[in-house]
Amino acid sequence: MAKTYQQINEKIARGEAVVVTAEEVIDIVKERGLKDAADYVDVVTTATFGPMCSSGAFLNFGHSDPPIRMAEISLNGVAASGGLAAVDTYLGATQPSQDRGIEYGGAHVINDLIAGKEVHLVATSRGTDCYPRKEIDTWVKLEDMNEAYLFNPRNCYQNYNAAINTSSKRIYTYMGILQPNMGNITYSTAGELSPLLNDPLLKTIGMGTRLFFGGAQGYVSWMGTQFNTACERDEKGYPTTSGATLALIGNMKEMNPAYIRGAVYEKYGTSMFVGIGIPIPILNEEMMSFVSVENKDLYTYVFDYSVASGGHPKLKKVSYAELRSGSVDINGKMIKTSPLSSLKVAREIALELNHWIKKGQFFLQEPIQSFPMANALKSLEIKEGEAR
Amino acid sequence: MITKKILLSFPKMATGKPMAMELIKTYNLDFSILKAMIDDNIKGTLLLEIRGKQTDIDAGIVFLRENQIGVKDVQSMVVVDQKKCVSCGACTAVCAVNALEMDENWSLVHHEDKCLECMLCVKACPMRAIHTVM
Ligand code: SF4
Ligand code: SF4
Repeated sequence: MAKTYQQINEKIARGEAVVVTAEEVIDIVKERGLKDAADYVDVVTTATFGPMCSSGAFLNFGHSDPPIRMAEISLNGVAASGGLAAVDTYLGATQPSQDRGIEYGGAHVINDLIAGKEVHLVATSRGTDCYPRKEIDTWVKLEDMNEAYLFNPRNCYQNYNAAINTSSKRIYTYMGILQPNMGNITYSTAGELSPLLNDPLLKTIGMGTRLFFGGAQGYVSWMGTQFNTACERDEKGYPTTSGATLALIGNMKEMNPAYIRGAVYEKYGTSMFVGIGIPIPILNEEMMSFVSVENKDLYTYVFDYSVASGGHPKLKKVSYAELRSGSVDINGKMIKTSPLSSLKVAREIALELNHWIKKGQFFLQEPIQSFPMANALKSLEIKEGEAR
Repeated sequence: MITKKILLSFPKMATGKPMAMELIKTYNLDFSILKAMIDDNIKGTLLLEIRGKQTDIDAGIVFLRENQIGVKDVQSMVVVDQKKCVSCGACTAVCAVNALEMDENWSLVHHEDKCLECMLCVKACPMRAIHTVM
């Protein structure tokens, strides 16, 4: 029998909702069959905890006396945007610091703020009639700010490449360190627990979906950048390449520093580990069928990251069960595989979201608008000469 | 015959060599230098793998300590800070001998005895949770 969002929310309010994780649901479907399982389970929780570069924070510091219209802004030596109003800024996660470079960047400042630490704010300005101050040098804490929210333009990739290096030199990438001569393969996903792989056609995840975001209750605010729903899919609709992404918003003041962490990729840059958990309502048998997917049925490609121009060449299509097994056969050679995103923490998040729902602290939000399903990726052409 | 890893710290690197010779002659200890480092104040650090009889090793260590040389028993110079580690797995990608490995719950395990002290994992860890003892 089909269920509505409202019926599920009523069950949550009564403390009667059956909530399981996307890993637990696999066996439930095997035992009870699709139809019975769809009646029994109300919500399936999914999660991921991995590096997501396209992340950052909007902050409002409040006005000093006399006030300043901040033009050049830094927080613990990390430059933030002066391109907004007087005391508003956007701090990008991958921005390196002036003194420590990529070892301490925007993501680390964000983590320090969420952890309640004081952060060194330095700003300068040319001074205006209404904002006469030209310099400010002070310490700020999250609780002292007016507003502080993460707005991450691209998080939660539906699926992602696995990486290998066929060259004779070690390479340093955002997919970790890749050893020469196909020495290793890295991959980055929560696979069968991953949010968007459990709703491959975005039937329940859209604008306005409420979710676990860094330990707070956040929202899907838009489609993520490089949103690609016109991607390659298998016969059931699961993407076999990157697929959809999400733009997320959430209150930093309610976040937990364990779930928003600064990260450093050697000779590449700073990134941010973002913890996301998305509840999937089991509205019908179709949704139950989607969430019961297993790693053995989810595929990606191994790409050669030693070739940077013209796109990385594809080497092989592999399932996440093969990647998780520890080695994959490439041209007759068994190559060691390693994860880059933390399944351990993703499982913790899926369980935490599960508890929130069971305790009646978290309710489902039906999307205000669904996302387009035929959105293709564009690339940047290099044009010469004058504006046309 | 047993094998053991020890980390020696010298007030001056120059004292390292003669002491080592002494170990071989007097205490019948065979050893290989796994890592040798010297800092700005010419303090030196040597990571040795020593082989010999337990009694000889113990006597050798007493001898080193009597000569103002710091001796620390180590399994590996590499230490994983459990408070910072998120079990992402990035370090396991570069560990050629699987001294760093994911267990069946996808939690990082560190087999110190297998470590070759290549130090690649220190650079590979995005959380900077791996450091060296010295
Ligand atoms: S790379 Fe660092 S954070 Fe990741 S598992 Fe290894 S030690 Fe832990
Ligand atoms: S130092 Fe090298 S061998 Fe030892 S744990 Fe790190 S990567 Fe493995």
